[in-house]
Amino acid sequence: MIKDQIKKIYKAKIINTEKVSTNSYYIEIDCNKEIEAKAGQFVSIYCEGLTFRRPFSIFTNNKGKIGILYKERGKGTKYIKSLKKGESIDISGPLGNSFSIKNCKSLLIGAGIGTAPISFLKSKLENENIENIFIAGFLNKNEIPKLINPNIIYTDDGSFGKKGNVLSDTEEIIKKYKPEIIYGCGPEIVLKKISELGERYNIETQISLEKLMACSIGVCRGCVIDIKHGTKTVNASVCKDGPVFWGNEVIWQ
Amino acid sequence: MAVINNILQTNLNGLILKNPIMTASGTYGYADEYDDFINVENLGAIVTKAISLKPREGNKHTRIAETEAGMINSIGLENVGIEKFLKEKLPVLKEKNIDFIMNIAGSTQEEYTELAKICNENKIKAIELNVSCPNVKTGCIEFGVDEKALYNLVSEVRKNYKGYLIVKLTPNVTSIENIGIAAEKAGANAISAINTIKGMSIKLNYINGRFNKAVVQGGYSGIGIKPAALSAVSKLSKVVSIPIIGIGGIEKLNDILEFFAAGAQAIQIGTANFTHPDIAEKLIFELEEYILQNGFKDLNELKRELRI
Ligand SMILES: Cc1cc2nc3c(=O)[nH]c(=O)nc-3n(C[C@H](O)[C@H](O)[C@H](O)COP(=O)(O)OP(=O)(O)OC[C@H]3O[C@@H](n4cnc5c(N)ncnc54)[C@H](O)[C@@H]3O)c2cc1C
Ligand SMILES: Cc1cc2nc3c(=O)[nH]c(=O)nc-3n(C[C@H](O)[C@H](O)[C@H](O)COP(=O)(O)O)c2cc1C
Ligand code: FES
Repeated sequence: MIKDQIKKIYKAKIINTEKVSTNSYYIEIDCNKEIEAKAGQFVSIYCEGLTFRRPFSIFTNNKGKIGILYKERGKGTKYIKSLKKGESIDISGPLGNSFSIKNCKSLLIGAGIGTAPISFLKSKLENENIENIFIAGFLNKNEIPKLINPNIIYTDDGSFGKKGNVLSDTEEIIKKYKPEIIYGCGPEIVLKKISELGERYNIETQISLEKLMACSIGVCRGCVIDIKHGTKTVNASVCKDGPVFWGNEVIWQ
Repeated sequence: MAVINNILQTNLNGLILKNPIMTASGTYGYADEYDDFINVENLGAIVTKAISLKPREGNKHTRIAETEAGMINSIGLENVGIEKFLKEKLPVLKEKNIDFIMNIAGSTQEEYTELAKICNENKIKAIELNVSCPNVKTGCIEFGVDEKALYNLVSEVRKNYKGYLIVKLTPNVTSIENIGIAAEKAGANAISAINTIKGMSIKLNYINGRFNKAVVQGGYSGIGIKPAALSAVSKLSKVVSIPIIGIGGIEKLNDILEFFAAGAQAIQIGTANFTHPDIAEKLIFELEEYILQNGFKDLNELKRELRI
């Protein structure tokens, strides 16, 4: 049996930082060790003075280098923003499961900063020549991060791309494009709708969930959600059993 | 780096540990995740997640919150149950040569007795009684807050379990000394203190003309509880003669030294494992280094010098 990529803590070096929209940033970290992350996996970052490490999806992975895209929210992200190129950072990963890649027509949906892991997924699909469309949605033009790679962009206020939310035309796209799998990441309301669409059109869905994490490696049971397992409801941890789940397994609150 | 010469060896009155640094119950699972980060077999011991007679699903509502100086948890003792532990987790711990202490929890005295018997039959070397669980027979009162209930509970477990018995005290009491004395009288080999302090987190966020309220009521742990833990250990050390294992807010070498000063013979690290998954092993090396650099003969001499 091949052992999964070992999770390690890297006192790593920041090799790149960039502001990519009004409120989001890109940071690239050299872990000084070969890492092979899968799309959907995440890393956790220690932020000085805070008890919980902060989880972020992997956005790029090039040999030993990991890039993340983050939106400034509170103390943790403010701390990460304060770090400069050349400084060191305490990062651990890759953590969690990953999107199941299938060799079939794929529809990718990302909303807000949820476009980060979806962008990574798209580049993986492209490496394997898997046909796909990536649609992304944002509040407005200023929130669109520079480095993402969607095919179609929606903004709520119409300031860029199509006007509307990311799911405005999804039903038509499904009917026309006929995807065999849909992947999604973004606010829970969007993910819930994606899984409902999947059930309505009988298409598999894979969604990436977020939940506050303490340990982020599956030991504290702080991040569990209810999952359908046959006829039973069971606990699943978002950090280890997830963050990616089949849409039809999730019991929405 | 390797631990040399046994200078950290710790004898807890019958239980011999490689070193005095353990990881606390509920913060290390069954050790299955941490070997990606450290060599778990280097630890003095790991204390397992609380194990109950039957598997438990734990609480449904939000289970964790971060606070200014630690965290609140309300996990609700989610665990695999003793049967699955013995079948699936125990062989792995043995195979990996990890020294462990089994933390057990029940909701009636009978459940604890049954667990004690099973541990005895399976020759579990050491157990830690989690007495911060409500006794369902007396409503919501925890075993660990009532001297008499605790004395009866520990005596009953003692009768049925021949191994090393640690009683883990809750700080949510008026006099932790009296509870400690009761545990010793009932036959405990050691006391560990403290479990989490009752605490609550309320996070308010005013958006779109409405308060978003995130509330978690549960147990407070982490750096913020260190003063309370030191106080408990110090008070206990004056009234009991069995060894005390100090727990609460430990995240650096100096914290460990403070616990030794207060009278602890060994310590456990809890919440800090989440912040730094490699912390426990790192602190073992730091402690060893400290002893060597400052010219102490061994840990025992350091502890003697530190004692207040
Ligand atoms: C598996 C996973 C992957 C993630 N990937 C990314 C990513 O690629 N890029 C990114 O920017 N963020 C991502 N997040 C969210 C990120 O972890 C949080 O935004 C971050 O922890 C906030 O930390 P903070 O200290 O800055 O904010 P805090 O001070 O912790 O919170 C500030 C505010 O943000 C809110 N908040 C905190 N966490 C979240 C959350 N998870 N979702 C929604 N609101 C939250 C709080 O309620 C609070 O109002 C991910 C989360 C998970 C679980
Ligand atoms: C998430 C979490 C789960 C815990 N579960 C248990 C448990 O199952 N049994 C137990 O005796 N103590 C449990 N504890 C308490 C710890 O073992 C420890 O006593 C407490 O957290 C104080 O130490 P710390 O400040 O180093 O975390 C838990 C603590 C946390 C944070
Ligand atoms: S955060 Fe600890 S189990 Fe997921």
